[in-house]
Amino acid sequence: MRMTMEEMKNEAETTSMVSMPLYAVMYPVFNELERVNLSAAQTLRAAFIKAEKENPGLTQDIIMKILEKKSVEVNFTESLLRMAADDVEEYMIERPEAEFQDLNEKARALKQILSKIPDEINDRVRFLQTIKDIASAIKELLDTVNNVFKKYQYQNRRALEHQKKEFVKYSKSFSDTLKTYFKDGKAINVFISANRLIHQTNLILQTFKTVA
Amino acid sequence: MHGHGPHRARTLGPCRGGPALEESAVLWPPDSEPGIVSPFKRVFLKGEKSRDKKAHEKVTERRPLHTVVLSLPERVEPDRLLSDYIEKEVKYLGQLTSIPGYLNPSSRTEILHFIDKAKHAHQLPGHLTQEHDAVLSLSAYNVKLAWRDGEDVILRVPIHDIAAVSYVRDDAAHLVVLKTAQDPGISPSQSLCAESSRGLGAGPLPESAVGPVEACCLVILATESKVAAEELCSLLGQVFQIVYTESTIDFLDRAIFDGASTPTHHLSLHSDDSSTKVDLKEAYDAEASTFGFPDCADAGGLPPLSCMQASPHGKAASESELSTSAAELLQDYMLTLRTKLSSQEIQQFAALLHEYRTGASIHEFCISLRQLYGDSRKFLLLGLRPFIPEKDSQHFENFLETIGVKDGRGIITDSFGRHRRAQSTTSTSTANGSRATGSPDDRSGPSEGDEWDRMISDISSDIEALGCSMDQDSA
Repeated sequence: MRMTMEEMKNEAETTSMVSMPLYAVMYPVFNELERVNLSAAQTLRAAFIKAEKENPGLTQDIIMKILEKKSVEVNFTESLLRMAADDVEEYMIERPEAEFQDLNEKARALKQILSKIPDEINDRVRFLQTIKDIASAIKELLDTVNNVFKKYQYQNRRALEHQKKEFVKYSKSFSDTLKTYFKDGKAINVFISANRLIHQTNLILQTFKTVA
Repeated sequence: MHGHGPHRARTLGPCRGGPALEESAVLWPPDSEPGIVSPFKRVFLKGEKSRDKKAHEKVTERRPLHTVVLSLPERVEPDRLLSDYIEKEVKYLGQLTSIPGYLNPSSRTEILHFIDKAKHAHQLPGHLTQEHDAVLSLSAYNVKLAWRDGEDVILRVPIHDIAAVSYVRDDAAHLVVLKTAQDPGISPSQSLCAESSRGLGAGPLPESAVGPVEACCLVILATESKVAAEELCSLLGQVFQIVYTESTIDFLDRAIFDGASTPTHHLSLHSDDSSTKVDLKEAYDAEASTFGFPDCADAGGLPPLSCMQASPHGKAASESELSTSAAELLQDYMLTLRTKLSSQEIQQFAALLHEYRTGASIHEFCISLRQLYGDSRKFLLLGLRPFIPEKDSQHFENFLETIGVKDGRGIITDSFGRHRRAQSTTSTSTANGSRATGSPDDRSGPSEGDEWDRMISDISSDIEALGCSMDQDSA
């Protein structure tokens, strides 16, 4: 499947940050539900995907309402971050070549480290070590992306470069957020920025999956 | 080798305290005891009193310290240590050199072993007087010790050279010990090897102690009380935290920069490689600015970076076939330089770039840049990789390797030695300068190299103009 630059941008906008709860929270729920009632789970999944596409943010609203109804007091952003490390099957690259599998692996590693932030942020020494791990994971992911660029030639190269550029942008934003955090101590902003970076990581996988 | 790794302390140690005895504080210095005395003693005491009076006058003449009183666990504002400094009064006993690097800073026994040995050898004073009074000046950059009277500097230790800080209570003495890197210029009084360090104490030598042992220094200080010692340790701990935090964020920034900067094509001035056609206008999108990147407009009246972009943008749009990555790399690199270099350094960079482009060798260019950037900013050399001509790329890559920044591995391990190496193989082809050819729809035109050349010239000219405008502003 070949997509133009414009189509890729639209795809990315549709799969925007606000739709992250769909795949981070609801997809695992549907996976569990499939064991109970496959047909119902698949119907529900398709309905949510369609509804979210038409109304970005709907899934998050539904989840928030359920939590409110059940009087569950959780920090949604923090919980989303903790849940965001899981692989999203729709985004995993299926090609067997080593470079693509490496890309899956590096993306997974970065997401897992980012999702650990809520556990580490209150211990300065451990949190600094986590940041170093995140730094290495970002570098390794970008190196892997560059590897794929080098080895494979794509007509939609610009789409891939655009996505890489976006990822770098959000990585820099994450760094800036950390600097601010060490001054004001507001962890929630770090969680939000980490969620964005995870989302960008998934978009890199999605882009490569689509273009490749 | 000792087991702790190099003391060029990327391993910034937290303050560690030896076990403190639960005794009442001892007055410092001890009070004199008046009483009825004989005439002989009267004369003697008169002399003593005169000396005491002079000493007292001396103390009262001393300048007030630039200090802050901390009630633990209170912490000082980071800015106080970053933009200012804090002074504390201590007594300076001395500096012990050629100490085995594997000395455990948490071990009271080990530390006192060396102190006792030094006192026995008259390397440290047995009794402390006002002559040992010193001022410890602390900031996020260094610890400076100076004599209280006369203000002569005794020594200065950069923060990154401090491996650990210990507080040891030895009877009435409250010792604060800094374990620091040893200056390579200090020649050990005896050959420091596993043999000579056997006297350290109980237990077998660590495996790493076989053969030559890395040495460290111990700076021995004394404070007037346990409270003062703990306050000093707390301040040093806060400095470590500030510096370690800054270094960690810097490490993150460098990793992002390196990953983003590694070109997907090798971009050289004279390369025959094709590159994809792109729209240059898109290449100069300022999307990055929405995330609070360093503002181009400078309060000091320097021309905004956007002005520097305008000329190559306008001239080259119709003919250039540079990739999006190339233009973005240039933009990113200029932004980075503005944030990492001072105005004077930018001028120097402009001068070096001019020299290189007008005939200086790549070797001279590399050496000069390395001197300009220094150790803490040598990663900036990576950003130049796309702009080095094909003919010089091999030398450049070799140079990066010798200074430990090749492919970013040197950065990761130089800053934090215990961190794992990146397993990237991306740079292999970068090293030898060869690159895959561009996509099938590329065209290599005779104007590509010229256009690139002109773009670099424009950027160079703008940097030089920036340097000139700074001269005018400062004049």
